[in-house]
Amino acid sequence: MDKKCLKTKIWTSILALLVAMPIFVVGFAWFLPEHELWQHFSTTLLPDLISATAILLIGVGAGTVLLGTVLAYWVVMVEFPGRKWLEWALFLPFSVPAYVLAFVYLGVFDYSGYAQIWMREFLGLPGFDIRAGSWAIILTFVFAFYPYVYMMARASFKRQKVSMIEAGKLLGARPIYLFFKISLPLSRPAVVAGLLVTLMETLADFGVVSLFNYDTFTTAIYSAWGDFRAVEVAAQLASLLVLVAFFLIYFERKARGEAKYYSTEVSNKKLYYANGLSGWLISLFVVSIFLLAFMMPMLQLLIWGWESIEQEWSVKYIDFIYSTTILTVVSAIITVVIATILALPGQCKTDSVWLTGIIRLATLGYALPGSVMAVGLLYGISQISVISVYFGGESINHIIFGSIFLLLFAYVSRFMAIGYNSIEAASKQIKPSLIQSARLLGASRLKLIWQIYIPIMAPGILAGALLVAVDVMKELPATYLLRPFGWDTLAIQVYELSAEGLFERAAVPALVMLLFAAILMGIFQYLDKKFFKTF
Amino acid sequence: MKIKHLILSLSVLALVAQSIASDTVTVYSSRKAHLIKPLFDTFTEDTGISVKYLTGKGNALIERLKLEGKNTHADMYMTVDAGNLWYAASQDLLLPVQTKTLKNNIPQHLRDPNGFWSGLSVRARTIVYSTERVSRKDLSTYQDLADKKWDGRLCLRTSKKIYTKSLVASLIHHHGEAKTGEIISGWVDNLAATPNAKDSHIMDAILSAQCDVGLVNTYYFARLIAKKPDAALGLFWANQNTTGVHVNISGAGVTKYASNPKAAIQLLEWLSSAKAQRIYAGLNKEYPANPNVAADESISGWGVFKQDKMNLSQVGILQVRAVKLMQEKGYR
Repeated sequence: MDKKCLKTKIWTSILALLVAMPIFVVGFAWFLPEHELWQHFSTTLLPDLISATAILLIGVGAGTVLLGTVLAYWVVMVEFPGRKWLEWALFLPFSVPAYVLAFVYLGVFDYSGYAQIWMREFLGLPGFDIRAGSWAIILTFVFAFYPYVYMMARASFKRQKVSMIEAGKLLGARPIYLFFKISLPLSRPAVVAGLLVTLMETLADFGVVSLFNYDTFTTAIYSAWGDFRAVEVAAQLASLLVLVAFFLIYFERKARGEAKYYSTEVSNKKLYYANGLSGWLISLFVVSIFLLAFMMPMLQLLIWGWESIEQEWSVKYIDFIYSTTILTVVSAIITVVIATILALPGQCKTDSVWLTGIIRLATLGYALPGSVMAVGLLYGISQISVISVYFGGESINHIIFGSIFLLLFAYVSRFMAIGYNSIEAASKQIKPSLIQSARLLGASRLKLIWQIYIPIMAPGILAGALLVAVDVMKELPATYLLRPFGWDTLAIQVYELSAEGLFERAAVPALVMLLFAAILMGIFQYLDKKFFKTF
Repeated sequence: MKIKHLILSLSVLALVAQSIASDTVTVYSSRKAHLIKPLFDTFTEDTGISVKYLTGKGNALIERLKLEGKNTHADMYMTVDAGNLWYAASQDLLLPVQTKTLKNNIPQHLRDPNGFWSGLSVRARTIVYSTERVSRKDLSTYQDLADKKWDGRLCLRTSKKIYTKSLVASLIHHHGEAKTGEIISGWVDNLAATPNAKDSHIMDAILSAQCDVGLVNTYYFARLIAKKPDAALGLFWANQNTTGVHVNISGAGVTKYASNPKAAIQLLEWLSSAKAQRIYAGLNKEYPANPNVAADESISGWGVFKQDKMNLSQVGILQVRAVKLMQEKGYR
């Protein structure tokens, strides 16, 4: 092994291991003695939880893939009425936190919600308990998370060679056949990347499942921690989530195999023109998705917010907005920089099982519930202090605890997957031939990175930054636990009010959050338009 | 080495000087910001001592206190539910405080026997019912809601909520585990809907005829009535001929490693005073812990009720058994 690889290895390892630290801490819980709680859990909670979690994952996975892919395909490949603004509007639900969506849906569609009251009074239908079973919670998650698949699939469809599909068209193949035989297989990595994010997010969710009172694996984690004060069992259970995520990724890689999918050109040419009835039908479908996932919740929030704005709005919102801005921007930048370093293509990386392994590990934090991640981090730091004191140094606890550094660390660890997936997907578009010719012309690695890798990966980096920023904005449990004095964010205000059942007042910070996300997306769109034109 | 020591002692001195000069109490609170800020502002006006606070979840703040150890910023831990306070005390995070003022102001059953924490407001959990479909004479106790006559008519809050856990802990205290298990099974059989995430949802469900009776903390009822004075909902004081209404507290304790314990104790005592109690309980329509202070006008119309006098440290001791029992009986 030559020296240069060694250097890459050391630096990449340090970065990846740091990011993965909370996961290690959580995993180490298995070395603690067995807790009697396992006996109780395995006979009471676990059997039901495992099947409930599996149903949820399958439902949400199927739903987001179906919805996200179909929507992306239509807006990219088909011209239909309203397509242009819908292509952009379909992103918007991404800015609505899943727990906000859940409390709006329950407020409208549960037994006492006006949708059901109307149904009973005017249509004479019997009422029903929307939280029974799992279909309603699955739909909520699908509307909250389909944008992950939509975003990635859309970018991928845009880079497909239209000529290939047109050839099929000329040969008389039906659209549906071309979709399944050409477009979908080519976009599979992107769709699966979106699916993985969705599944991990669903696994780690606590807000939506607690509003629906639907028991998943996180229920057991919180019960172990909150009810039985058995932090070690909570950590052991949480590490199982990481394991599930690891296998999901492993099988995805395995299935993808050695296939390479690249193309650098972005095409805005439409394959099909849906005029007349079929076009309007597509429009109707897409618009109704947009209405359900965004407009309806937004209107409901506006109504609630209108009633309570006088009571709720005050100068403290300047602080909330300030904290939210600093945290989202700084953590997005740090995450994206580290993710880019980790995702840079290079022979040293692909040849080393160790490196590919720990880089993967560094992206698993997304499957950890935020508060478990936060506690893992706290324990990790306090262990470093213990070691430092043992060797005659000083404890770092008082410097780190309650500082903004810790919170940023948590965000970077938790959202690395989001940044990394987006950037890594972009790096797949670098043609090996391009690298080979640059090498032949004697370009150094540094030059290669700055003049070839980064420019090609740039759209992915930008998209990754947006995704991380919006996720940080919505993040609740880790922020709640780790934030320093005076760093209350908008998400925390939403939580504090809604936890007390003050949904009307919670609508105010929720709306400010949506506005904030809209600004982030506006900046993203501006930069994207200016530099990459993927829109 | 010497220089290092000098710098260290200087910085410690500076810290001490700072805390004396500014005289600040730092509070970790799981009581929400909008409920404590007006109170702390008044305290600062009265005493010149300023109050810094950080809100968070009860459990998570305890975890943070533990990890921060001697380095903690917190002088006081404030939370809802006696179980949280009891646990903080059991983890050696609180300082025993036994002062005359506290003893005079707060009844014994709302205080820790060893003085680690003290209740500051009383949160009563009792029966709420539809005035259209339920007659008051059919209502009596918590355990009666397990009776067959309520089949398909009962709405309950999730077993994950601390209020439910504490209520069940009190049932175990009074009736033993076997009997409590039967009560829980009866409740589960009578449920009209999946247990609700919020007390406010329970009342909405009763109003829309999904169920007829439920259990809620009274301040949620107060909030609903303030908004809809004509709502067909009634409040019924449970167990008046037996053990009394189950009450829980919001409360606080001084932390073991408080850097300003004197001011923290002063704050705790002030919070138990008549002036503070009126604001404290009034802000959230809870009942004052200090029996000499009358309840807020808006809720005094519901009359006085007999409280369950079980010492609330029992809630902490029995909570784990309560959760196990509910999980065994399938109460989600």
